[in-house]
Amino acid sequence: MGLAVIAMVAVLSSCGKKPQVEIDATNAAIEAAKAAEANVYLPAEFAAVQDSMNAAMAAIEAKEGKLFKGMAAEKEQLAAVIALANQVAANVAAKKEEVMKEAETLLNDIKAVLAENSKLVPKLPKGKEGAAVIEQIKADLSNVDAAVAEAQGSYDNGAFMDALNKIKAAKEKADGLNAEIKEALTKARIKF
Amino acid sequence: MGKPWWHILIISAIAVFITLMVFLLFYPVPPPPAAEMKDAREAISRARKNKADIYSGELFSEAVNSYDSAMVNWRRENERFIYKRNYSKVIALAEISLRKALQASESSLNNTANLRVNLKQQLKNINDLMAEINKIFPTYPLTPEVRNKISLGKMLLRESETAFNDGQYFLAEKKISESKALLESSFEYANSHLRSYFKSYPQWKIWIDSTIAMSKENQDYSIIVDKFSHKFFVYLDGSKITEFTAELGKNWVGDKRRRGDKATPEGMYKITKKMENDSTTYYKALMLDYPNEEDTVKFRVEIENGTLSPKTTIGDKIEIHGNGGRGADWTEGCIALKDREMDSIFKYVREGTPVTIVGSMYSLKYVLNR
Repeated sequence: MGLAVIAMVAVLSSCGKKPQVEIDATNAAIEAAKAAEANVYLPAEFAAVQDSMNAAMAAIEAKEGKLFKGMAAEKEQLAAVIALANQVAANVAAKKEEVMKEAETLLNDIKAVLAENSKLVPKLPKGKEGAAVIEQIKADLSNVDAAVAEAQGSYDNGAFMDALNKIKAAKEKADGLNAEIKEALTKARIKF
Repeated sequence: MGKPWWHILIISAIAVFITLMVFLLFYPVPPPPAAEMKDAREAISRARKNKADIYSGELFSEAVNSYDSAMVNWRRENERFIYKRNYSKVIALAEISLRKALQASESSLNNTANLRVNLKQQLKNINDLMAEINKIFPTYPLTPEVRNKISLGKMLLRESETAFNDGQYFLAEKKISESKALLESSFEYANSHLRSYFKSYPQWKIWIDSTIAMSKENQDYSIIVDKFSHKFFVYLDGSKITEFTAELGKNWVGDKRRRGDKATPEGMYKITKKMENDSTTYYKALMLDYPNEEDTVKFRVEIENGTLSPKTTIGDKIEIHGNGGRGADWTEGCIALKDREMDSIFKYVREGTPVTIVGSMYSLKYVLNR
């Protein structure tokens, strides 16, 4: 009797085993996408990969609960998750490159504006050094310089998204200052 | 010819095995909780799309944790003998996960909407404060620390607007709070400074009324300089006939106390000399009788009280002169006008024309509300 039961269980449970190799490979692909900062640069796409993995794991458990456990479909599902994770990882590289280029362009732009501002400030009318307007402009310039230095630090550390966000705010401020200085020079009838 | 006993035994065993197989095949196997888990998973995914992980973090975490616990229990049950599996706990956890995910989703949408409205209002308030600062203090000689605070506050305000427009409401909230703290403290400081300055308004009002009355009585020209609004008013027969923008000393707030303080004096003065050509470096100039008797008395009192060092001297050579129109306060204490305005003034005034310099023609309440 015992023999019969053992034989039956063996028959029922050996139809399909949990595809552990495929699961491990999928987890590795997801980890690789995460290591490539997919969660930072493509958060929605990365979340979709995780959702797909959760669905695949649930499908595997559902199959585990059945008498006959053919895992072919689940293996295919895992293979699709791997493909998706690899695709996202590849897209991250492209997105990162895009963000890096944008940050680089903006950094160069803002440096050009700051250089122009530095050239224009000494042209402001003599005797204005103590004037409130000039003092405010100088304070603003110093804060923009600090913000650019911070953004440059993020860029140098490879945190391009963070650098881009910081530069965008600083660029707006630098452009505003540039317009303010030019307005003051125009008002004082000074060519620039 | 009976069969051997072991034949009977084998046949019986096969019969028992077949019966058992048939029984087990038809015995109801507990169905896996796939549907419940799918519902929970999809609800979590929707909640994440609604940014519940950010704006309803606690509920979202509870939903995810319940789902993970359900998966663990599901795996554990699957390890048991198929007919002994019980998925009720898995289903219960999946249902909790679903409920929490739905709540997180809804709460996130509500929180986001409330936050958006709230932040929009806060941004408006800070922009209003910034406009107030720009209106009242653009030429006010604030300290470098206050200027720096205003500058940082402005920058953070722009950053918070960018974060708000990108839908990063928590980041926007953080930056708004930092910006608000900087701008409010700067405004408070400058405002209290201003209030203290305007304590002299009753005295200024007496000087203004007296100057206008003099102009009316003498049917002559009088000049009133309003330092706060940087306005230079010309009166004839008690009526204002024209006004110009005046540029003042770098530290124009407050009365002049000593030589070199770069302050523009406040008081009732008279033109003592008209200068042009080689007698002035500022196109045309009108010398005032600063220091007058009142200024001299005030200076002596300050020396006696020790509020001024005995080594300090009282200033002089306060003029109304040309070379103005620079858009800033740049003089050592004089009043600068544009050259063409000096041409006009030169036609109106003579030696003895009254020139009254006040902090403001109007009360602080009026200045702040206009």
